[in-house]
Amino acid sequence: MSLGPQTELSREETDAFLGERETGVLSLALDNEPYAVPVSYGYDAGARKFYLRLVSTPESEKRRFLASTPQARLVVYEEEGDVYRSVVVVGRLEEIARDELTVEHVEQYGEAKRPLFEIWGQAKRDLDIKLYQLVPEQVTGRRIAVDRGDDAPKS
Amino acid sequence: MDGETEYVFDCPACGESLEVNGSMRDALLEKGCVVCGSSLTPEAFTKTTSTEST
Repeated sequence: MSLGPQTELSREETDAFLGERETGVLSLALDNEPYAVPVSYGYDAGARKFYLRLVSTPESEKRRFLASTPQARLVVYEEEGDVYRSVVVVGRLEEIARDELTVEHVEQYGEAKRPLFEIWGQAKRDLDIKLYQLVPEQVTGRRIAVDRGDDAPKS
Repeated sequence: MDGETEYVFDCPACGESLEVNGSMRDALLEKGCVVCGSSLTPEAFTKTTSTEST
């Protein structure tokens, strides 16, 4: 397998990619302790903001990392055929208070894929569901072509 | 000035309760519960106040 030249995605390509995808990996840190979790998101390309629902329980590890307004990274990636695309977002995760919710928030969360509450094994009423927006400070998108020809079995 | 109707929204799925105005009610009915994503019907909203135009 060999890698082709890596190219940076344009702003338009990055926005289109983030709009097509709906899941990624959110990474947080507390001192020297890392934490990463798969999340679903809604993306507003105009405002360049991400909208996330994060679910936790009183005992959950996630709650510890979300206790303050943390710096976060969101990685969204896709491998399609021989093309690998990824976007790394660095920004601050801000909780949206319930009394600050607007029609725009409702519309953006309506576009976000529903979290898989079922994996928690508890009724929704027993879960702590908080709404966050990720405001990017830096967004980097890349595309790379992967040539798998070298790995093909020879007959 | 348009009259503004206020509602209390109670999500039957997650139990979320919010005070909302008419445009928020419309958005929630169209997009689902902002907190849990569940589909909603008008039964999830209780009218609390209605101010007539002057």
